[in-house]
Amino acid sequence: MREYNIVITGVGGQGVLTASNILGWAALRAGHKVRLGEVHGMSQRFGSVISYVRFGEDVYGAMVPEGKADVLMSFEPVEALRYINYLKKGGMVVVNTSPIPPVQVSMGKATYPSIEEIKKVVEEDFKAKWIGFNAEKLALEAGHVVTTNTVLIGALTQVPEFPLGEDHVREVIRISVPPKAVDMNMKAFDLGIKAAKEILGL
Amino acid sequence: MAKVTDMVLWDKPGEKVLLLGNQAIARGALEANIAVYAAYPGTPSSELTDTMAMVAEKAGVYMEYSTNEKVAFETALAAAWSGLRAMTAMKHVGLNVAADTFMSAVGMGVEGGFVIMVADDPSMWSSQNEQDTRVYAKFANVPVLEPSSPHEAKEMTKYAFELSEKFKHMVILRTTTRISHARGDIELGELPEEIKQAKRKFGDFKKDSSRFVDVPSNARRFHPQILEKIEKIREELAECPFNWIEGKEDAKVGIIAPGLSYAYVKEALAWLGVEDVKVLKLGTPFPVPFKLVERFMDGLERVLIVEELEPVVEEQIKTWAFDKKLSIEIKGKEIVPRIYEMTTRRAVEAIAKFLGLEMPINYEELDEKYEKVKAMVPPRPPSLCPACPHRNSFYAIKKATKGKAIYPSDIGCYTLGLLPPLNAVDTTVAMGGSIGIAHGLSIAQNGAINESQRNEEKKVIVATIGDSTFYHTGLPALANAIYNRSNVLIVVLDNFVTAMTGDQPNPSTGQTPHGMGKQIPIEEVAKAMGADYVAVVDPYDIKKTYETIKEALEVEGVSVVVSRRICALHKIGEMRKKKEKWPIYYVNEEKCTGCRVCINTYGCPAIYWNEEKKVAQVNPTMCWGCGGCAQVCPFGAFETEGGEQ
Repeated sequence: MREYNIVITGVGGQGVLTASNILGWAALRAGHKVRLGEVHGMSQRFGSVISYVRFGEDVYGAMVPEGKADVLMSFEPVEALRYINYLKKGGMVVVNTSPIPPVQVSMGKATYPSIEEIKKVVEEDFKAKWIGFNAEKLALEAGHVVTTNTVLIGALTQVPEFPLGEDHVREVIRISVPPKAVDMNMKAFDLGIKAAKEILGL
Repeated sequence: MAKVTDMVLWDKPGEKVLLLGNQAIARGALEANIAVYAAYPGTPSSELTDTMAMVAEKAGVYMEYSTNEKVAFETALAAAWSGLRAMTAMKHVGLNVAADTFMSAVGMGVEGGFVIMVADDPSMWSSQNEQDTRVYAKFANVPVLEPSSPHEAKEMTKYAFELSEKFKHMVILRTTTRISHARGDIELGELPEEIKQAKRKFGDFKKDSSRFVDVPSNARRFHPQILEKIEKIREELAECPFNWIEGKEDAKVGIIAPGLSYAYVKEALAWLGVEDVKVLKLGTPFPVPFKLVERFMDGLERVLIVEELEPVVEEQIKTWAFDKKLSIEIKGKEIVPRIYEMTTRRAVEAIAKFLGLEMPINYEELDEKYEKVKAMVPPRPPSLCPACPHRNSFYAIKKATKGKAIYPSDIGCYTLGLLPPLNAVDTTVAMGGSIGIAHGLSIAQNGAINESQRNEEKKVIVATIGDSTFYHTGLPALANAIYNRSNVLIVVLDNFVTAMTGDQPNPSTGQTPHGMGKQIPIEEVAKAMGADYVAVVDPYDIKKTYETIKEALEVEGVSVVVSRRICALHKIGEMRKKKEKWPIYYVNEEKCTGCRVCINTYGCPAIYWNEEKKVAQVNPTMCWGCGGCAQVCPFGAFETEGGEQ
């Protein structure tokens, strides 16, 4: 495999970095060359964030070029839209549909599009597949909202032709989370897999 | 996923690990047997310093968080003069702070290897300008090494120490955000015995006033020596292992790619399917090794230099080619953008244009489509965290001045006070600049308080500055304002930590990575300097903070209010580790009148507007329990019963 590109987006503090790190380690353990591009510093503070995960034989730069992401995984619906230009034609969008309205919206200075509108742009304008579900709800079902990223990673492993094995990724999560949180995360991971399978009709 | 500290210290040569570029450089410094490390944090360099802080004791390295880049530079420089391998790190604008010492010390040379890591931030993701450190290096005649990957960053660090020692000349290791904040597979090398045994190394300074006293008579001698040295280094770099020629040997077209641009060029060539090309991978943008360039140019008809930011390599090569009367077409900034960071797309666009090729993706179409999407997406700039004490300080300042003062501010998280609804930042220039600017504004608007002619229409100036920044470069500015009888209020936003760059300690708490520092309370400094009014407040008590600011504003002269409360992000992190709980606020919908005061004046990111119910609401996963909202709400609608996280 020459390269596989994942773009992860969300709001600073949601665990975007943790998710990219987990995927990076899974790829490294699978023997790939790995590059992760991350956001640090002030831009992390509750603002919009983007991180890049790239692996394969032929990866050099840490950023995915626009139009080249195989998957866009977003922790927040409008953030998927913000970075939709990274997605390749026919790519996949894995998205948590639970919104976090920005301050500008609460102040009445901007509007937040509906999930249907966002989905329409993804499917019609960008000809991409939409795997959208309320991952936060499933995370709470698993035990804690912090497992939202594990739910999404679980769903990600179900993307057709995703090059990292489900169990392989599961193993990295198992060793990266605190021992007490392992069961909760495994449950979250399974709930993510289930949700994606239902949407994809698998 | 192993812990970073473990990986950086692992005695497992050949093992592959995933490390951040900055962490890889720390490992490289250990593999090089570094003895002394001193730095002030600055994004995107900070994680190098933080990693050194974590491993220093276990590796027998002296490490300190210095109060600014200049003193950090001097600390490491003196260690290098004493024969030790020493390093300092900073962001590009940090080099401006260290520049006075940097420019003068070049000629004095070093004994032990001295490496200055400077992290540039093209596209200014977290910076106030876009300067290219390679220009500085050329200006100072200091060689620059520029890695193309995180692994190479580690290897280059070792080489930098060797090069520095060989020529007794300081060396810059220049990274950019996409090296410093990129993670890649790193192959661990050998660690020296002294590092493995955590053996602290001590140096020996040999007095030599003809060398270490930079009086004009010595400086005059240094300058020609520097130029001579840099030419010798240029010769040496022709054989540098980080410079090489690859691709088709008899190609007529060549591409020169310095530093990280090499990575983008490699991707671009593969993407475009171009094989009939020769590439010069250049890890040393200054001084450019002309011998190697000459070898590369042999047989070429056209050359493109794909370089990020300034045409540093381009200008050197074009001048050289002109002198050599080479009849090769050399293109660079005519095609490659001079602003913002290099990307694969930019490299593809430049190469496609240079070679007359079609783009592999129809970017015009994509951009057009995306423009329409952008109109649908509400902005989400970074904001002050929930429970951030700075929000309360700004809120109180705005209220006490009725929003009518001028608000110079500084470099730190609190610069975010710029954004609505606080709008409490009018100027931000450089570290420590708020007090200097406030003084200048005060003099210009009102005159000095002891002057015979003063402006009758007095304008209020309220400066804000963080604790770390106060010690960084705020001190001389404060002395200046007091000495010259300024009329300003300086609110020091003391959150006990250097928050924006990742929670590094500073003199306000006195903590160091080794726990042996000494605390310097800001109010004592202000008093000792002779400030006309000094007070300490807790910004979580908004009313008291407001009253104190009102009182301070009545005083003629320099008033200093220290607004002290630990950084909320830092505190929550600690509480999570200890599994402690904090109260969670919610909106009592019966009491909420929908006035939006909380949203329109306070702006906590955890509070949002429920369009259906026409009430404010709190996102419980984002509330960090400070209770500021309850103090701000005129109707007492924010309550905390029951909910805990």
